Amino acid sequence: MSELRRDPIVGRWVIVDTDHPNRPEDFEFEPPAWRGGICPFCYSNESLTPPEIDSIRDSGTAPNTPGWQVRVVPNKFPALQIEGDLDRRGLGIYDMSNGIGAHEVLIETPYHHKDMPDLMNEEIEKIISMCCKRALDLIKDKRLKYIMVFKNYGPAAGASLEHPHTQLIALPMVPKNVMEEIRGAQEYFGYRERCLFCDMIRQEKEEKERIIVENKYFVSFCPFVSRFPFEIWIVPKKHNSYFCHMPPEEIPALAVMLKDIITRVKKIFPNAAYNFIIHSSPINGDDGIEGYHWHLEFMPKLMRVAGLEWGSGFYVVPTPPELAAKYLREV
Amino acid sequence: MPELRKDPIIGRWVIISTDRAKRPDQFAAQQEEPPEKTCHFCEGNESQTPPEIYAIRPRRTPANSPGWDLRVVPSIAPFLRIEGDLERRGKGLYDLMAGIGAHEVIVETNQHIANIADLSEEQITKVITCYVDRIVDLGKDSRFKYVLVFKNYGWTAGGGRTKHSKSQLIATPVTPKRVKEELVGAHKYYEYHERCVFCDLVKQELASKDRVILDIDGFIAVTPFAPRFPFEVWIMPKKHSCDFINLEMGMRLDLARIIKKVLLKLKKGLNDPPYNYILHTAPFRRPKAGYWKSIDYDYHWHIEIMPRLTRVAGFEWGTGFYICPLPPEDAAKFLRETEV
Repeated sequence: MSELRRDPIVGRWVIVDTDHPNRPEDFEFEPPAWRGGICPFCYSNESLTPPEIDSIRDSGTAPNTPGWQVRVVPNKFPALQIEGDLDRRGLGIYDMSNGIGAHEVLIETPYHHKDMPDLMNEEIEKIISMCCKRALDLIKDKRLKYIMVFKNYGPAAGASLEHPHTQLIALPMVPKNVMEEIRGAQEYFGYRERCLFCDMIRQEKEEKERIIVENKYFVSFCPFVSRFPFEIWIVPKKHNSYFCHMPPEEIPALAVMLKDIITRVKKIFPNAAYNFIIHSSPINGDDGIEGYHWHLEFMPKLMRVAGLEWGSGFYVVPTPPELAAKYLREV
Repeated sequence: MPELRKDPIIGRWVIISTDRAKRPDQFAAQQEEPPEKTCHFCEGNESQTPPEIYAIRPRRTPANSPGWDLRVVPSIAPFLRIEGDLERRGKGLYDLMAGIGAHEVIVETNQHIANIADLSEEQITKVITCYVDRIVDLGKDSRFKYVLVFKNYGWTAGGGRTKHSKSQLIATPVTPKRVKEELVGAHKYYEYHERCVFCDLVKQELASKDRVILDIDGFIAVTPFAPRFPFEVWIMPKKHSCDFINLEMGMRLDLARIIKKVLLKLKKGLNDPPYNYILHTAPFRRPKAGYWKSIDYDYHWHIEIMPRLTRVAGFEWGTGFYICPLPPEDAAKFLRETEV
């Protein structure tokens, strides 16, 4: 008998196939196929991107020249634009606004073919520090209400360029999924005066079956209500609402955890595309956010999402998270 | 300057790229798909499916033999099972229940035709009647709250390995989240305005005409103001009705006609793209605590068609904020002008 499980945060139900669970070899997925051509993110091609916003680079090198380790540039085709006033208005029964916001690309490494498992821990620390630094800078813009940090790796996951990069999008309103998550967490907090995510960590550590690895500051597990097979969450053990307020001592621990997790996933699915998304509290708002707890959600792209998922928000998960965690622990 | 638009029903925001709008031919081609298997849905291969649940057999041939126009069989790989109790329970802070439900496949023709757009209007009418009959039948089982009817056409849209026109339905013991959000959104609008949000939407679309593709026989096909996908199309009855099962016989051929026209326009204009469509209708309304009675007034059934031309990436998953690379006004114009 399969199970229906309800996400305690947003109330989403998912179907988990516990009867005939898919093993890793049961998934078919697209091998990576890239366009080729000149890469705007490689050394010496700095002039092919818009001028850099920030970088970590060798001393004595000038902006927009080689010598950088991490480089942040505006997206050449931004979904949102930073200049202008926010203009929210109505149109009959509809609501709209102009597209104010920021869309930045963080180039993770000068090496075209190095994904996170191929980088040194110190290099990944620089990527994380830069994400925090950019977020702290964008928070100063009071028009912005939410900052999302995410990565698309591989064409099936929506990446259009092969060179490893992370993206930051700053939005003038709190997106719907985030709002639902915040509300769910706040409701839980309001009644129990405890954080839902802290309780979740406690329960996961007791039950152990969904835990993959943990270190001093972070724990990773396959969530009880996964939407996708082999979905993984990395959660800081210490309660903290904002990703960008991560204490400096946690950054090396997150780098180690992220590298470890992606290495494990790539051992099981050598060519898998993936997405990860950092879920953090809204910024520049009046809402209390003490009940929210930032975390990173990692989703290997192993399935085609079909009509059922779109229409109902009802996800079918062919590998129970307990089994996925076992594979990931033992690989 | 790109625009942000908010869906008036469930409050979802989307980004419309107005100044780097893509033309239809700029979307990447379909990805490769595996070779086709022998088709167990064709006439003569009835023994290769589980026994039929429902069939239209004009010559009264026996069940599970040739001579049918349309056939419904249980899914070979069901997501949910029909037997058993729900066993709702908690596990620490988590909630769960048994995977009770029905998962059926509607084989829409005895011919090996892939796209429902290529079936006759009369055959599509039979498909519509079958949807109604199956929903009514499953509604007799009090464990079920909702029947979701959907179609995955083409490999990237989640379609199977046999290219034989079919839809699927699942009956679920809970109202799916996405459906509930829509019901709640419509209810809130009704509470304040005492009008159906969908009726208002139909009125506004017919007045502005920018997003109308077809307006025929009591139905309209429009691109929604805040689409999630380029060329997303909604088909709605102009007359208020919350529940698809109340669709009168006389209207079924009209619905078949507009479905066929829209799908043919997509096929011709966009080079036979993969697509999903989903029937959005009211849940079963059994007297129960907490159920609002106004659902008959505030909800309005419709069909949402989503061609799969873009990939959904991390941003969309994380935020529920879709980036639509084509304004729906341009998409509607393109589809209006595509002759079929």
